Amino acid sequence: MCGEMENTEWNFRPVSMSDDTDSTAASCYLDEKTFRLSCGLFLEHSSFLNDGWAWEEVNGSEKEGYMKKTVMVPCRISSTPCQSNQSRLVDGDDALLEEEQLCDQDEAVGEPTAAEGQAAVRYEYHVLYSCSYQIPVLYFRASTLEGRSLSLEEVWNNVHPNYQQRLLQGPWDTITQQEHPLLGQPFFMLHPCRTEEFMRPALETARAERKGVNYILTWLSVVGPVVGLDVPLSYALAVGPPAPKAEATTAASTASASASTSGPD
Amino acid sequence: MTKLHSSNAGTFAKMSDNADSPTESQKDDPPTQQPPTEDSGLVDEKKKIDVLLKAVGDTPIMKTKKWTVERGRTVHSLSQFISRFLKLEPSEQLFIYVNQSFAPSPDQEVGVLFESFGSDGKLVLHYCKSQAWG
Repeated sequence: MCGEMENTEWNFRPVSMSDDTDSTAASCYLDEKTFRLSCGLFLEHSSFLNDGWAWEEVNGSEKEGYMKKTVMVPCRISSTPCQSNQSRLVDGDDALLEEEQLCDQDEAVGEPTAAEGQAAVRYEYHVLYSCSYQIPVLYFRASTLEGRSLSLEEVWNNVHPNYQQRLLQGPWDTITQQEHPLLGQPFFMLHPCRTEEFMRPALETARAERKGVNYILTWLSVVGPVVGLDVPLSYALAVGPPAPKAEATTAASTASASASTSGPD
Repeated sequence: MTKLHSSNAGTFAKMSDNADSPTESQKDDPPTQQPPTEDSGLVDEKKKIDVLLKAVGDTPIMKTKKWTVERGRTVHSLSQFISRFLKLEPSEQLFIYVNQSFAPSPDQEVGVLFESFGSDGKLVLHYCKSQAWG
């Protein structure tokens, strides 16, 4: 699966950490095979936790696919975008009633820019592999129970406070709207241009202590919380790196195939 | 869980709750609040854990690397503390890793991290800062 993305506007230049070819961990790149194997190990633990990750095949091929998870989260959503979806009438009780029903808000809808309410929002996360940049990329979309897509502003409002300021300051994690490379539908995407920047320290540190890294686990643990995706701590204990050798790789594939209902390779 | 020896307490600086940069006098502070009985020492042990902060790459090394931290303190709070200590720009992001290569959730309590990844009576956390956008 090589989903080509609109990348002409990116400044991202993949940088190789070193010429060391002992393991893929030496490079900040991720080759597609390691992507699949790493996802497989990740999915094994997900299956154990039953926390909703699954492997989606592309074109009916086991070897091509992406990881996907859907989760309901309480979010703050504004009543304003909902109102703007139809020609909104300020005057008239009928209009207000209609908006109340559609928005499913507890508080009365009054001012145009009024209240935010708590609502369950459906977040759908996709972990795709980018052939162009040889790194994983996180796509996601969010919608209310009524099926209304969240606006970029609403998505930003639900970013963890730890990251909100940085997101505003610099585009290391900019959230942009992109067409999903495989589904062709509008998604949000977490800009991957700084992937190398936070992967390099983890890869360096692990290498210094002679430990392997599950690229997907490390990567997702960093980018996930930015967009409300939690990676439970048990993953860090349970999920290891894919074995570098071919024989061990085969064993891992076998284990992956038998462990859960969905898994790559 | 490894027992925390009272003789080590002096080598770990107390991390202030309000995330201010520590003063030198905070180091080697004995627990003056509690009477020096073994029971009180154990109670004090359980409330706090020892953290060793290691810089990665070009990230500035903290002058004080060893900290005693309340168990209930979150990764987010710790991150803010380190950022202020290192005087990071608002645009600079701090990354924290446990077990070398896992970024704990910002809401995660350090006490929980210690239970899972602590060894030799301390929790080792690696940290690294991103480049500021110029």
